[in-house]
Amino acid sequence: MRIKEHPILKFKKGRKVEFYFEGKKMTGYEGESVAAALLANGVKVFRLSKRLNRPRGFFCAIGRCASCNMLIDGQPNTRACITPLREGMDVRKQEGRGRIER
Amino acid sequence: MKEEVVVIGGGPGGMCAAIEAARCGASVTLIEDKPVLGGQLVKQTHMFFGSKDEFAGVRGIDIAKILADEVERQGVKVLTSTTATGIFDGNIVGVTTEERYSRIVAERIIVATGAYENPLGFINRDLPGVYGAGGVQTLMNVEGVLPGERFVMVGAGNIGLIVSYQLIQAGAEVVCVVEALERIGGYEVHAAKLRRLGVPILLRHTVVAALGKESVEGAVIAQLDEKGRVIDDSKFGVTCDAICIAVGLSPLVELLVQAGCKMMYVSELGGYVAWHDENQRTSVENIYVAGDSSGIEEASTAMLAGRIAGICAALSLKKERRGYDAEEALKNYRERLSFLRAGPFGEKARRGKESFGIQFSLPLLPSERTSSKKKRHLTAKPFHKGPVAVIECNERIPCNPCVDSCRFGAIRIEGNMNEVPLLEPLLCRGCGECVIACPGLAIFLVDKGFSESEAEIGVPYEMADVPKVGDKVMVTSSEGDVLCEGRVTRVRDSKKKRRIVFFGVPKRYADKARGFLLPSLAKSGRFVKMAVDKEGGKEDFLLCICEDVWRSQVEALIDAGYHSFDELKRILRCGMGACQGKTCQRLILNILSRKLGVSMSSLRPHKARSPVRPTPLEVFASCEEVPQNTGGSKRESH
Ligand SMILES: Cc1cc2nc3c(=O)[nH]c(=O)nc-3n(C[C@H](O)[C@H](O)[C@H](O)COP(=O)(O)OP(=O)(O)OC[C@H]3O[C@@H](n4cnc5c(N)ncnc54)[C@H](O)[C@@H]3O)c2cc1C
Ligand code: FES
Repeated sequence: MRIKEHPILKFKKGRKVEFYFEGKKMTGYEGESVAAALLANGVKVFRLSKRLNRPRGFFCAIGRCASCNMLIDGQPNTRACITPLREGMDVRKQEGRGRIER
Repeated sequence: MKEEVVVIGGGPGGMCAAIEAARCGASVTLIEDKPVLGGQLVKQTHMFFGSKDEFAGVRGIDIAKILADEVERQGVKVLTSTTATGIFDGNIVGVTTEERYSRIVAERIIVATGAYENPLGFINRDLPGVYGAGGVQTLMNVEGVLPGERFVMVGAGNIGLIVSYQLIQAGAEVVCVVEALERIGGYEVHAAKLRRLGVPILLRHTVVAALGKESVEGAVIAQLDEKGRVIDDSKFGVTCDAICIAVGLSPLVELLVQAGCKMMYVSELGGYVAWHDENQRTSVENIYVAGDSSGIEEASTAMLAGRIAGICAALSLKKERRGYDAEEALKNYRERLSFLRAGPFGEKARRGKESFGIQFSLPLLPSERTSSKKKRHLTAKPFHKGPVAVIECNERIPCNPCVDSCRFGAIRIEGNMNEVPLLEPLLCRGCGECVIACPGLAIFLVDKGFSESEAEIGVPYEMADVPKVGDKVMVTSSEGDVLCEGRVTRVRDSKKKRRIVFFGVPKRYADKARGFLLPSLAKSGRFVKMAVDKEGGKEDFLLCICEDVWRSQVEALIDAGYHSFDELKRILRCGMGACQGKTCQRLILNILSRKLGVSMSSLRPHKARSPVRPTPLEVFASCEEVPQNTGGSKRESH
């Protein structure tokens, strides 16, 4: 959910861009984190865990915990919380340890 | 590359260290992981408490800008979006950007890497929707996105209380705050702010499970007995879509461990910290430490410790600059630092630092948090002659912006700034400047002679939904009781993004009415207790989230005789994932300590290795220099 009105802050956002999550078209703002764009679109599950395939989302949002590892533009283990969103990005849930797709 | 002073971490501690070292004439490089300088400050929308010398009364986001400007003015070389991934023998700092790895040979290194959040173990703690308070703050205050709509906050320290308030400011609902201890850890003024918004703070309660399949749909809350054990039949469920964890911070010390600094477990400082002296120097000559990474405290103390580290590092290089009396500045910073720590809230830090052999010479304040000063008003109040300020700040916290805000000299703090402020009502004109200035939102205006039957109350207000004159509001007390209906009489704007909303209430509520609720805010604090089914046997939860290791697996191995973190790690892989143990180490050491009946300080943390953050191998391949044999090269392999 994007914050509409804030008593203290004004949020400067980049250009509106389209990206893909699991092949589905979504919109976000260039330069914001992929995690923020996904959450604004109501997506909370970013990956399935290594051994037990449990759903996982973000936790720390500053690149420390790796809970948000995703497959972004073919790169596995990419931390969605510190990866800036770009036009046309292909974002996918990571399953397990992640495979390099070539 | 060669450099005189390298500062790692661009929070308030690191920025101040860099500023001072440069001011003394050293050539300084400041390395910061994030794209912007500021550390914790960039997400703090509230006015900071603390000393006005350390920018108290200014919002965190603005302090970040002030310091970053000063960093620039002092000619510090700033490398943002750059991570220090290792410290190696020969004073070498390995740094990575998204594409490149390089090494800086530093004459002095100052580590000011801040802290990371403590984990909490409960069923389904890995479910999407269970978030760290810092993470929620980053998304909400930096990115403008709320990761949920209805939050349960775990932890009533200052962070839990402040983030709860910020969530409501951003438009979310806060169901309740749960706190395992029998008292609120944070400042009472922050708790009162929340209670006035109707949010209950449940002491001796905790979250025992997150509910939901794909993401959080509810939380199971339970009461704890005096030993901290869950009282089984006290469990109840609430609906929420997010559970926010704010159960304390641990110093981020991985680089210091690698550098071979002598580490100690000091619970008062938040966990493992590098031993250091009063100059902030660690046991490794040339390496200094400052801020939360040297013990969890405040931004104000981080700034001063940073300044001290910066000066001492520069002086040890025989730096001096005409026109800057570094020795004198050092003395001044030391004094300010001990003043900040002289109150009851500084006691933990004081005791922690004393265990390093650092001495505090200042007269200390009584150790009771709440001041017994009953007579907060120095003379009888002429309350019927227009509005008069009422200060409801009864704890000894290091904070003083109210004193300077009063042009009429009506507010003063006697002695140490940790003492509570006193008001001289005869001097008070009811101008409201102190209401605007108080970081704790703890000053109000009261006019008991407003009308025949009503008193007028003016309260500080920082929400987006502003009531209009004539609107009816539900009036609340600082204990959280809904008292009566009130009618808004006037709304005063200010430049500081804080308003004073005035409303009339029946006279008998004049000493209680301190806040109000609007329909848009009234959902926070409302919840229905749901029964939870007693499913036996499913008490297990994941200790290590990276490698999916259950608590039961760890306990079974400990019972089988594996008694150190490193042994457990080798067998189960817990702590070997990408977070390098940040989400499991503390929980596992706790279990070890409990099961073996030994203190945390006698347990060894696991080894931290370079790189301290996940780094693609191609980044290392980009390193142009031929690595020299530094004698420590084996530590560089991964
Ligand atoms: C909700 C909340 C409210 C607070 N309110 C107040 C208040 O009102 N008053 C007050 O005085 N204090 C307050 N604090 C505390 C204050 O924010 C911290 O104590 C302070 O920021 C600590 O400063 P620091 O410089 O040590 O660390 P930080 O501010 O955490 O900065 C550390 C920096 O180092 C960077 N870093 C870490 N590792 C590396 C690496 N390997 N390479 C490069 N960079 C790295 C991090 O990205 C970070 O930017 C609050 C804290 C929180 C969370
Ligand atoms: S959420 Fe922790 S690394 Fe992204």
